Amino acid sequence: MEEISTKVLVIGGGPGGYVTAIRAGQLGLPTIVVEEAKLGGTCLNVGCIPSKALIHAAEAFHHAKAQEKGASPFGLSVASPTLDFGKTIGWKDGIVGRLTNGVAGLLRKHKVKAIAGKAELIDGKSCVVRMADGDKRIHAEHIVLATGSAPVEVPALPFGGPVISSTEALALDAVPATLVVVGAGYIGLELGMAYAKLGSKVTVVEAADRILPVWDPELTAPVAKRLKQLGVEVLTATTAHALSDDQRALVVRQSGSVDKLTIAADKVLVAVGRMPRTQGFGLEKLDLTMQGRFIAIDDQCATSMRNVWAVGDVTGEPMLAHRAMAQGEMVAEIIAGEKRSFDKTAIAAVCFTDPEIVSVGLLPNQAKAQGLEIVIGNFPFLANGRAMSQDDEAGFVRVVARADNHLVLGIQAVGMGVAELSSAFALALEMGAVLEDIAGTIHAHPTRGEAFQEAALGALGHALHI
Amino acid sequence: MAYDVVVIGSGPGGYVSAIKAAQLGLKVAVVEKRETFGGTCLNIGCIPSKALLHASEMMAEAQHSFDTLGVEVTPKLNLPKMMAHKDATVASNVNGVAFLFKKNKIDSFRGTGKVLGQGKVSVTGEDGKVEEIEARNIVIATGSDVAGIPGVSVDFDEKVIVSSTGALSLEKVPGHLVVVGGGVIGLELGSVWARLGAKVTVVEYLDTILGGMDGDVAKQFQRLLSKQGFEFKLGAKVTGVAKSENGATVTFEPVKGGSAETIEAEIVLVSTGRRPYTDGLGLAEAGVELDERGRVKTDGHRTNVEGIYAIGDVVVGPMLAHKAEDEGIAVAEIIAGQAGHVNYSVIPSVVYTSPEVASVGKTEEQLKAEGIAYKAGKFPFSANGRARAMLHTDGFVKVLADKDTDRVLGVHIVGFGAGEMIHEAAVLMEFGGSSEDLGRTCHAHPTMSEAVKEAALATFFKPIHM
Repeated sequence: MEEISTKVLVIGGGPGGYVTAIRAGQLGLPTIVVEEAKLGGTCLNVGCIPSKALIHAAEAFHHAKAQEKGASPFGLSVASPTLDFGKTIGWKDGIVGRLTNGVAGLLRKHKVKAIAGKAELIDGKSCVVRMADGDKRIHAEHIVLATGSAPVEVPALPFGGPVISSTEALALDAVPATLVVVGAGYIGLELGMAYAKLGSKVTVVEAADRILPVWDPELTAPVAKRLKQLGVEVLTATTAHALSDDQRALVVRQSGSVDKLTIAADKVLVAVGRMPRTQGFGLEKLDLTMQGRFIAIDDQCATSMRNVWAVGDVTGEPMLAHRAMAQGEMVAEIIAGEKRSFDKTAIAAVCFTDPEIVSVGLLPNQAKAQGLEIVIGNFPFLANGRAMSQDDEAGFVRVVARADNHLVLGIQAVGMGVAELSSAFALALEMGAVLEDIAGTIHAHPTRGEAFQEAALGALGHALHI
Repeated sequence: MAYDVVVIGSGPGGYVSAIKAAQLGLKVAVVEKRETFGGTCLNIGCIPSKALLHASEMMAEAQHSFDTLGVEVTPKLNLPKMMAHKDATVASNVNGVAFLFKKNKIDSFRGTGKVLGQGKVSVTGEDGKVEEIEARNIVIATGSDVAGIPGVSVDFDEKVIVSSTGALSLEKVPGHLVVVGGGVIGLELGSVWARLGAKVTVVEYLDTILGGMDGDVAKQFQRLLSKQGFEFKLGAKVTGVAKSENGATVTFEPVKGGSAETIEAEIVLVSTGRRPYTDGLGLAEAGVELDERGRVKTDGHRTNVEGIYAIGDVVVGPMLAHKAEDEGIAVAEIIAGQAGHVNYSVIPSVVYTSPEVASVGKTEEQLKAEGIAYKAGKFPFSANGRARAMLHTDGFVKVLADKDTDRVLGVHIVGFGAGEMIHEAAVLMEFGGSSEDLGRTCHAHPTMSEAVKEAALATFFKPIHM
């Protein structure tokens, strides 16, 4: 067996893993990253990036259809727009290909060795990679676990046949005539809305009593409204029971009802969450302390075993690529001898539905639950000039702050394009901004960002434009 | 009855000042000679131009990008309908201001305001009737007007030879539009008509477009506009604009000397800048001093006459609506006995072309001229996942920071949605933040604003994704 020694061994080539490896390489540490599938992990291959591409294409087609019907106010009309879905998927695959090749290039540039194969841990210092041309044994001073997560299965609806996960939903041959989405979380709604815009009849089934239950109803109401406008049927307080006998429909049951409903479904997308990948690569041999299903880490991403680190989805919520990347950067720097700890007051959560939702820091009810007395400022986009000129006035920006010293605790927004406002929100929280800081920062006119300033003014009791 | 504050002009500076003063408990009146409130910005400036820019961008996307996404359309333009969208946007904005005046119990006088001296303003109505108003404090917010070309007589008919006002209301798409002046206004409106099918030639006195912007930005931006079909005649001094049989002609000669050239145009847009508007205000008689460029001289927003203040385009500084708004707030606070303040070093500016250009703080050229030791970090959108997923990979982010302290001194962005991304930099700079502060703030994935983080990483160490 070939034996290799290195300083840093990263298991998993997703955003957490490849960023750890790049940073380690930049800092001059000999580094190997092992990936069993494709570099870039879930995010680049079957997650964030391809879904955003599909959402963008769906939006384009939706606009074109609106223009065909004469519903566009912009004075544009188009004659019978058609969709070449094969081309759409091909375009998406092209983007994914370029980005994953880009990761490979970056690793090379920073002298990181990427090994394609499945790693199996031997102990806290080594692993074996099984490969076609013989096994390799890698010894490392440091091991970074970045194995990510996988879609959760519903026992009654195992994946296969018409039952698909987000992975397959991003690579369909054709737009399904009918699509049932199980789970009204962000993944289900992002993809459900995209397919509704591409022409599917979409039904969403959610066990909780409303969509996107992690957020408050005020924040999610504009999305609920848009779902209705798109003709998406949302069945809340409803559980998926099983596929029908002919496999062409989903049987569901609404809570409080004994009767079952059958919904036609060419495809059933199950998007009820993701679980950490902690099995199948010898993790149990390390006997690390766990935190529920996740690997337990401290504020430096150190596990219970010295020089074994873990980053990303395998370490818990929030399962977000940008959290994983931030952890990865940090771990590489710690290994290189720098003093770092993970102390992010703000990790923005973004939901790329229509309209988009962003949440950073505390929601009003979370702040209240902590016993804090708060003030809230809310500024609607219908009073924002830029939103009017874009003919999409749905949504608002909301700022939550302490009533006594005006420290900003949380910022939420829902509306077209608010994903790009999230970084300003995060920065404000990281800087410990008070309402007056935001109100006193000049925001360019006319932009949607002005709504942030106005929300802060509103929380102070003197919004200008409402 | 005497008002606490009389504001002359109801543009962004004036109406915001009035609202803020009323919120602070002062009795306020506004004098406006236009039929609707909102000034240049809302009626014939920012807002209508953004409405047309957005609508024409939809057209350009349908023509050029949809096909790549697999959406096949044949778009058709209905210009009157597009203009109706613009008019509706303007109407809802100006009605919004009227509503806010009512809500804040602000009186309004329709007519031309004139300062009669300390404490007195006259209003001359359209019918010639003159009314006098007592005012403990007067705020001059009369804005600016189209400047024309120095030394050249231009006969604006707003049909063939137009200012920005006429360029917002052309009856058909011109075959050839010649834009005199390669600044923000000319390039924005030039973009509208170029996207709708016009051939656009820009004639500019300087050797660069967007004079005063960061050199890197201007250069890249010119390249991108050229790709969109813009033709540029730089270093060209216009010596004549005249009507001709088929439209108009523009004559210019190289600034460095050489032979003159004359080009034919269907429409000529003269957008060479704006001049402070003080016509008929009676400032000389009232003893209010102007500076050498005809702007009202102020010191801490106060003119040399007790109780008379001036804000916005009519005073020194960038002619931007949000700068005027901030001055309006500061003046209201000062009049109410508070400490109003405007931080002139952090005023973002945005060009709403495609891609957008946004900037805050110092340019590289300014830092060089001032002898400040700096470091720069750049990151291209071509290496950003969301940009790829939206087919918006043009442009970059550039961060400039102090070489020793790492304090961020300027941020410049060329790219889709740059106008919304710049606020993060504005908030950072208000806090005196460093590029490391910016680079270590978790930025949501996948967003375009990750490029801001990467440029910051590049400034203090190394970017991850490049």
